[in-house]
Amino acid sequence: MAERIVVHRGSYRDSAFLMRVTRELKASAGVAEAVVLMGTPMNLELLGRAGFATAAESGAGPLDLVVALRADEAAALDVAEAEVGRLLQGGGANGDGASGGAQGAAASGGAGRSRRLRSLPEATALHPDARLVSVSVPGEYAAFVAHRALDAGRHVFLFSNNVDLDDEIALKRRGREAGLLVMGPDCGTAIIAGVGLGFANRVPRGPVGIVGASGTGIQEVSSLLAGMDVGVSHAIGTGSRDLSAEVGGVMTEMGLRLLADDPATTVLVLVAKHPAADVAATMHTVLRSLGKPAVVRYLGKPPRESEGSVHYAADLDETAQRAAALAGARVEVERQPEATSPSGPTRRFIGLFGGGSLAAEAEVIFRHHGLGATVPDHPLAATVPLEGSGHLIVDTGEDFYTVGKPHPMVDQTVRCALLEAAAADPAVSLILIDLVLGDGAHLDPAPEIVAALAAGRTRRGNDKFACVASVCGTPRDPQDARRQRAVLVEGGVMVMRSAAQAARTCALGLNAASHT
Amino acid sequence: MSLEPGKQLLGGPLAVVHLGLDNLIDGARAAGAPVHVVDFVPPARGDRALAACLRSLLMPPLAAAIDAANQAALERILASQPHLVGVGVARDVVPGMAADLFLHAGPPITWDRMAGPLRGAVVGGLLLEGRAGTPAEAEGLAASGAVRFEPCHHHAAVGPMAGLITPSMPVWILEDRGPDGVGRRTFCTLNEGLGNVLRYGAYGDEVLTRLRFIADTLAPLLARTLERRGPIDLKSLVGQALQMGDEGHNRNRAATSLLFRELAPALVSAGPGVDVVRALDFIHRNDHFFLNLSMPMAKCMLLAAEGQPRSSLVTVMARNGTDFGIQLASTPGRWFVGPAQPVKGLYFPGFTERDAGLDLGDSAITETAGLGACAMAAAPAIVQFVGGSAEDALATTREMGRITVGRNPAFAVPALGFAGTPTGIDVRRVLELNLLPVINTGIAHREPGVGQVGAGLTHPPWECFAAALRALGESCNDMARSNPGPRL
Repeated sequence: MAERIVVHRGSYRDSAFLMRVTRELKASAGVAEAVVLMGTPMNLELLGRAGFATAAESGAGPLDLVVALRADEAAALDVAEAEVGRLLQGGGANGDGASGGAQGAAASGGAGRSRRLRSLPEATALHPDARLVSVSVPGEYAAFVAHRALDAGRHVFLFSNNVDLDDEIALKRRGREAGLLVMGPDCGTAIIAGVGLGFANRVPRGPVGIVGASGTGIQEVSSLLAGMDVGVSHAIGTGSRDLSAEVGGVMTEMGLRLLADDPATTVLVLVAKHPAADVAATMHTVLRSLGKPAVVRYLGKPPRESEGSVHYAADLDETAQRAAALAGARVEVERQPEATSPSGPTRRFIGLFGGGSLAAEAEVIFRHHGLGATVPDHPLAATVPLEGSGHLIVDTGEDFYTVGKPHPMVDQTVRCALLEAAAADPAVSLILIDLVLGDGAHLDPAPEIVAALAAGRTRRGNDKFACVASVCGTPRDPQDARRQRAVLVEGGVMVMRSAAQAARTCALGLNAASHT
Repeated sequence: MSLEPGKQLLGGPLAVVHLGLDNLIDGARAAGAPVHVVDFVPPARGDRALAACLRSLLMPPLAAAIDAANQAALERILASQPHLVGVGVARDVVPGMAADLFLHAGPPITWDRMAGPLRGAVVGGLLLEGRAGTPAEAEGLAASGAVRFEPCHHHAAVGPMAGLITPSMPVWILEDRGPDGVGRRTFCTLNEGLGNVLRYGAYGDEVLTRLRFIADTLAPLLARTLERRGPIDLKSLVGQALQMGDEGHNRNRAATSLLFRELAPALVSAGPGVDVVRALDFIHRNDHFFLNLSMPMAKCMLLAAEGQPRSSLVTVMARNGTDFGIQLASTPGRWFVGPAQPVKGLYFPGFTERDAGLDLGDSAITETAGLGACAMAAAPAIVQFVGGSAEDALATTREMGRITVGRNPAFAVPALGFAGTPTGIDVRRVLELNLLPVINTGIAHREPGVGQVGAGLTHPPWECFAAALRALGESCNDMARSNPGPRL
């Protein structure tokens, strides 16, 4: 086995480019292992742990691109090294050619594309009308960039995660003082004046204003509203930690006050996970004072008691329905489709989620139905049989699945491997998945899901299991939610209208089976 | 909390500046929002501690205080009016000069660490001063500590390449005639010409003979000339030269010609005739004669900015062939040092980069004052040293504009619509943009006694700027601490 570390000095590239090169190198003949990353101290340590003992001595710095290769013979290393050189030649400093897929190719180099700029201060000086700065640089640099955006008097959409809590607090203090929104860090979704940022669905504009600490939570509610022909005025993301005791809900409160003041908004929705108790109390007081009806869903917990104009919903589905009703839409409350629950003897249930919030919601619904499910705290191996024996709810977007890899909403490799294993495992009778569509997400996820299920079915030798799914998206999304649903149905998947409904269907099915 | 900025945001239409992953902004594009993509590069070369320090210096109100200090420093630079007022002997006119003192280019250095060209110049200086009879004897003397070495910059002086100033050498005397320039004087030796010269470390008979001609004939004649004709306004002369293809560092042909015109009438009458002919011929044959005036002119301008508290403006960039040092306006006299860099350029026939010494000389004072590479757009001929195009020359000046505080209207560049040259390097911008200044320079042979082997472009080492930023951060700690930010 031959090994090689190649350092390209002063060749900073973004993670999308690095992942693409890694993927291409791994696919080249004779290469057993390939890792491509920037030479930050943390990354060099990571390489050391991955067995590339000489990485630490490479002298690489944070702006140097490091390629670690392992192959059966040196010749394969030479080929791979030359390939890296070729890939580095093509494309600009970051994005050009770095975004994979047809969507990226269509977007890059197009005639309508603005000229690329070389620093944030120069960009904001040149474009005073650009009131928002969108940031998805690596977490260690994100606070610096966000502060520079605030320096220039701009609002910030901060997608980056792994930002220190102290930095988040400092950024949000500054933002509040200046009246500037700091959406994030770790903010997956926002919709401002009809423009989606990060992972967002293409929903119509309308009377419901959303503030959310959960990207998929915003996506699910806004897509469900779109399904009821109710539009969204704005969706203001806050980042996952905003309602923690430390951050204190600074941006949640600011977002709510802005929406309360916004003439286009008549109904407020708040979607957040894990609120600290005193912060939840503060938000309740704020919500009651705003003069507009509000629907609140705190993910992962049963609802509080509603009071006055503030309604606490049990799940995201109910959240959307209540908001739609408050906005004046005629909402037909449907009965839970128990009849369509999968039948058969109770065996294992496996939920394989791409959206973390949807996984947490499924868990609450299971608990509500008296069912226990384990949430593994380590990466689940795609083996047959799967480890353990009880029900599992797996969030494949957890950090330990995504280190150095794209999120499952973009790349389903990890999830599809688990899905195939679950389908092949004779102990598993019921599988639950979510598909989250929209801009930024995988362009055509359903066929891969269907193929993984089919492969598992073949390995199992029968089809004595059911797969239930929800599809979060709209017909206007690049993936077209109707088409994705049709592909799933065609592939034998039972597609439910919402994630909550899908989880409930599974819970009811499991309980029904255990009673027969 | 004001809701006004937020209302403006929600009021749309939305336009976005984006940094990071491209696929995350495709949705905004699809929705028809203008998206301005920034090619992100980690600030401070990805050094987290340094980036944190930089951030504190970019945060209000400290940032505003530093900006104001830089603006004040720049205004003092622009207000200075360096004039050539005379020629004297170093031991008589250079402040702090002493019989046992040799001045050299760059930050402080001891004999044992000196690079070849500087050692060669020291040997030549000892021979010139009559302190040693042979090069070997001179080396022994230098190593013995018989002479002290100090930077020219510690004595309001500058010197090209080795920059050696010995007590008996004649020096130009410049004086700031600006409103606040009272008593501010700077000094530089007279340029020896090209070929085998002391500043490149050569010390043969030809070199010493020429230095004696300068000291015995040229300098006294020029001193008399200036007494007759009066001071020469160097800033306006350089302003004209920039419109004639000079950049004040590697190309001084126009300025030398203009100086020739300024000097000739009075010089002729300062006689005697045989000396006048030799003097005019010497100036005429040396396209770099003016370099030794553009440098002290730049030094004179920058001295005006020294002592400006909190300023992040660079007032000195200098190299001794081993180290590269810079100083900030807020901490005059304090060096921030890194390793001298190789020079990328063209070599004279018979030489290659294997012969080249590292970056050397005080001449980067011109870039520090907005000349040299900052004025490259005025001198497209210069980029030929690195095989560049006229467009590259424009680009270099524009790039320097990204790391400088302002422009000097006295140095207008025709090709840029008569915009002034970018002036006053802000160490914060160098760190934030990861963009080092460009320096136009000559290349000395690495061994003593050989001389110039080429010319080209180089950069200062990153370490100088990193160290300067850290020091500025420490000195501004009082203000950074007194402002913990608004309470939640």
